[in-house]
Amino acid sequence: MADTPSSPAGDGGESGGSVREQDRYLPIANISRIMKKALPPNGKIGKDAKDTVQECVSEFISFITSEASDKCQKEKRKTVNGDDLLWAMATLGFEDYLEPLKIYLARYRELEGDNKGSGKSGDGSNRDAGGGVSGEEMPSW
Amino acid sequence: MEEEEGSIRPEFPIGRVKKIMKLDKDINKINSEALHVITYSTELFLHFLAEKSAVVTAEKKRKTVNLDHLRIAVKRHQPTSDFLLDSLPLPAQPVKHTKSVSDKKIPAPPIGTRRIDDFFSKGKAKTDSA
Repeated sequence: MADTPSSPAGDGGESGGSVREQDRYLPIANISRIMKKALPPNGKIGKDAKDTVQECVSEFISFITSEASDKCQKEKRKTVNGDDLLWAMATLGFEDYLEPLKIYLARYRELEGDNKGSGKSGDGSNRDAGGGVSGEEMPSW
Repeated sequence: MEEEEGSIRPEFPIGRVKKIMKLDKDINKINSEALHVITYSTELFLHFLAEKSAVVTAEKKRKTVNLDHLRIAVKRHQPTSDFLLDSLPLPAQPVKHTKSVSDKKIPAPPIGTRRIDDFFSKGKAKTDSA
């Protein structure tokens, strides 16, 4: 019956035993926004479906990350990189995502290269240059 | 810190995605590139789920995507079904009420007496033993 001191979950509780709910899931507003893009104009999403999808996307992140992490461990590397995740997706049957992701990754690397080249000395106004991903770039399955 | 790597701004907060990834204790380090890839792939996955669920909703001639539509959509895509189907709550099945012994109205015992099952309930047993 000895009381074990519980660590305060100040930084999201990752170090502690329990994790706050908002740290386990992505914001419901963002989820609703993306889902609405995929629905017909008069389409709606039930609350139960929204809440379940919120859990599903966290499962997806963990599932893909875990596979990529296993690959890194086998290859005795400590850092998970973009290519590891692409490999994990192909392995787990999400090869449909590879093409759009490769395009995204190339664009990301290009922009990162530009930022490093300029030493990030700008006023940060280029931040919105590639903001988000437009609807046309989303693949239709 | 997150703002600095926001040249391509994802739909989801990258910090939150990182926290979800870090829930797995085996994961040591994740570079910025990997964070962006997983964040965008999550967008693609969500878009895919919504699109497929909407197809099911249309098939059922409904306007609102519900949990059953989502479940059917997941079942139709093998890779998604492999890791997600067990996580989805089971469909709500209509409960058929069959007359059982527990449903019967049990008459109250006469004043000054107690039913034998009172003796076995925890609360009563403690007060009786005192």
